[in-house]
Amino acid sequence: MLEARDLSKSYRRHAETVPVLSGLSLTVGDGEFLSVVGSSGSGKSTLLHLLGTLDSADGGTISLDGRRIDHLRGRERDILRNKTFGFIFQFYHLLPELSALDNVLMPAYVGSSVLGWWGQRRAKRREAMGLLDRVGLGHRVKHKPRELSGGEMQRAAVARALLCRPRVLLADEPTGNLDPETGADIVKLLRDLNTDDGVTVVMVTHNLELAAKTDRIVRMARGRVTDDSFRPDGELALT
Amino acid sequence: MYKLLLCLRYLRTRYLAFVCIVSVMLGVATLIVVNSVMSGFSNKLKDRLHGVLADVLIETERSDGFAELPDEIVARIQDSPAGQYVEAVSPTVETFALLQFHVLDRNRQRQPITKHVRLVGIDPVRHAAVGRFSEYLKRQKDSPAPTFDLTEEAQRWLAKSQFYDSLDPPLATPARAGGDPNPGKFLETPSVIGQGLPGILPPPVLAPVPAPRFPGMVLGHSMCHYRRDGQEYALLAEGDEVSLMTLSAQAVKPVSGVFAVADFFKSEMSEYDNSFVYVPLADLQRMRGMGERVNAFQLRLKPGLDDAFVKATVVPALQDLFDPTTARVSSWQQKQGPILDAIAIERGILNVLLFLIVGVAGFSVLAIFTMIVSEKYRDIGVLKALGASDRGVLTIFVGYGLMLGLVGCILGSVAGLLITDRLNEIEVLLTRLTGQQVFDRTIYYFDRIPTNVEPLTVLLVNLGAVTVAVGSSVLPALKAARLQPVRALRFE
Repeated sequence: MLEARDLSKSYRRHAETVPVLSGLSLTVGDGEFLSVVGSSGSGKSTLLHLLGTLDSADGGTISLDGRRIDHLRGRERDILRNKTFGFIFQFYHLLPELSALDNVLMPAYVGSSVLGWWGQRRAKRREAMGLLDRVGLGHRVKHKPRELSGGEMQRAAVARALLCRPRVLLADEPTGNLDPETGADIVKLLRDLNTDDGVTVVMVTHNLELAAKTDRIVRMARGRVTDDSFRPDGELALT
Repeated sequence: MYKLLLCLRYLRTRYLAFVCIVSVMLGVATLIVVNSVMSGFSNKLKDRLHGVLADVLIETERSDGFAELPDEIVARIQDSPAGQYVEAVSPTVETFALLQFHVLDRNRQRQPITKHVRLVGIDPVRHAAVGRFSEYLKRQKDSPAPTFDLTEEAQRWLAKSQFYDSLDPPLATPARAGGDPNPGKFLETPSVIGQGLPGILPPPVLAPVPAPRFPGMVLGHSMCHYRRDGQEYALLAEGDEVSLMTLSAQAVKPVSGVFAVADFFKSEMSEYDNSFVYVPLADLQRMRGMGERVNAFQLRLKPGLDDAFVKATVVPALQDLFDPTTARVSSWQQKQGPILDAIAIERGILNVLLFLIVGVAGFSVLAIFTMIVSEKYRDIGVLKALGASDRGVLTIFVGYGLMLGLVGCILGSVAGLLITDRLNEIEVLLTRLTGQQVFDRTIYYFDRIPTNVEPLTVLLVNLGAVTVAVGSSVLPALKAARLQPVRALRFE
């Protein structure tokens, strides 16, 4: 379904060019729950950003259902980000001025005109309330992010990512800022979404214990996939 | 939808935005107040300038006046293409003159006061028909048929003055019986009426009063009044003698005459009130040896003619009737062109300078928006990750600038209009608080600070302020729009 082929990406740091991805290829199956592991600087987050069209690669291609998406610009790219991909970030990135409900509704706000929103506002609100209920935040809809705990904020971020019923959920270290127990809850939530709704999930994590709960683990090092069906087998530390 | 939501949310939650709103508000309020006051002053000034001058003036530079007699010229005007627009004509003689009268100094010595004046010989009834001459008269205010006749009291006063002047040596005339409503020329003189001067003279014999020997005159109010400690004092009263000296119409030869004050002229334009002296046309013609000739005509045009039409049609048609080398035809605006232009230029410069306040507001919008964009760096990245377009992000910040501008303009307009409406009360309060008179009424003789709110000016001020606010938000908004989401989201 989502296929990266021969991806390369480098960043310029002062006068120096730092390669991050070097000829990376990866295929994510439809409805798969995939985790990407690797040491810091191995290019996991960069891969996720490229897959979600948040960044553009220096070389290689990315296809979704056989259609290239790496060169999309403007409206097409924005619609793809809004409708097809859902993003979950390590630091939640909720908008501080908005309530949990409005944060969850934000993808719908982004995808609608004022008139369009007026027509669907009740349905979308119901949907957002349902999602907040589902992630266990039904009692926190009016709370601002600063009034929520880290786990609650991440659950609100998951609900936000799901509002537009994306086909692919891209989670960049969603548990990295949470305690193990809360982290496990989030991964369980992602697993449920994957199982119940058939959402494809690509999760970047450092935590092999949580990664072990996914369908497949892809291991990265120095900008390449070193093992695309990695099984830790008790080896929980990444080198 | 997210653009509107975030604009409104930022407006309510970003307290820094209030700095922008207050800046815009102050600029707008100041511009509205200043423009209203300038417009009020300008209108009042124009009103008074026009009140003193008729709609159109025809003047000759010949010292002996127009060669034809006034009635012939009036008939020629009526028969010309411009005649259909003319409602009334007043022939006048206008010239410069020296005026002299006497006052008593602190030591009760008679001192001559000499002033240079604009001497105008008029037929008062005809002159009242072409302008607002009678509106500005003190005693005969709004009279449809003003005259140069002296009142009975003034005649008596004149006779009494003449009696005391005839004494050798001349003696100061005592204070007027009954008192002038204004403290008079002899206010500081002890009242001796009916008593004579103790030890010097017996009480004067007051009856019968002989007919006055001198023709009447109307004198500019400021020429013979002065203010001290908020009180107005008169140097001359009705019935007082005044000497006038001017040039003969035939040669460079001084001619003079004595007139008696019949009334005062107060247009509340200090320039006019300090220089205009009106005397009967026939007396001035006789004094200058002009026969029945005049050297100026003041024309009142029919109502409803706009200034541009008068300038383009009526004035040239009238000019065709006269030799351009010696006669000039001008509308009152053309005649007062320099002062009207000066007011317009002054207003323009003031607007440019005051708009700098709005410019400062624009810079505060720019600075604060740059801060907000930096602060919202990550949120912008998130919005883009959720599908917000570059244009959408641009719209959020430009829309935010527009909203700040609109709110600032609404508050500024309300404040400006309220201040304008209550300007005189505020002036009184400021004068009371500071002890310094903010608006000196003696300069313009206005009882109140004149104001005039022009809706178009208010609209233009608001448009300008909104444009500045929106314009200042464009640069930070572009910065936000061009942000790569991954740069915002990569690091915490």
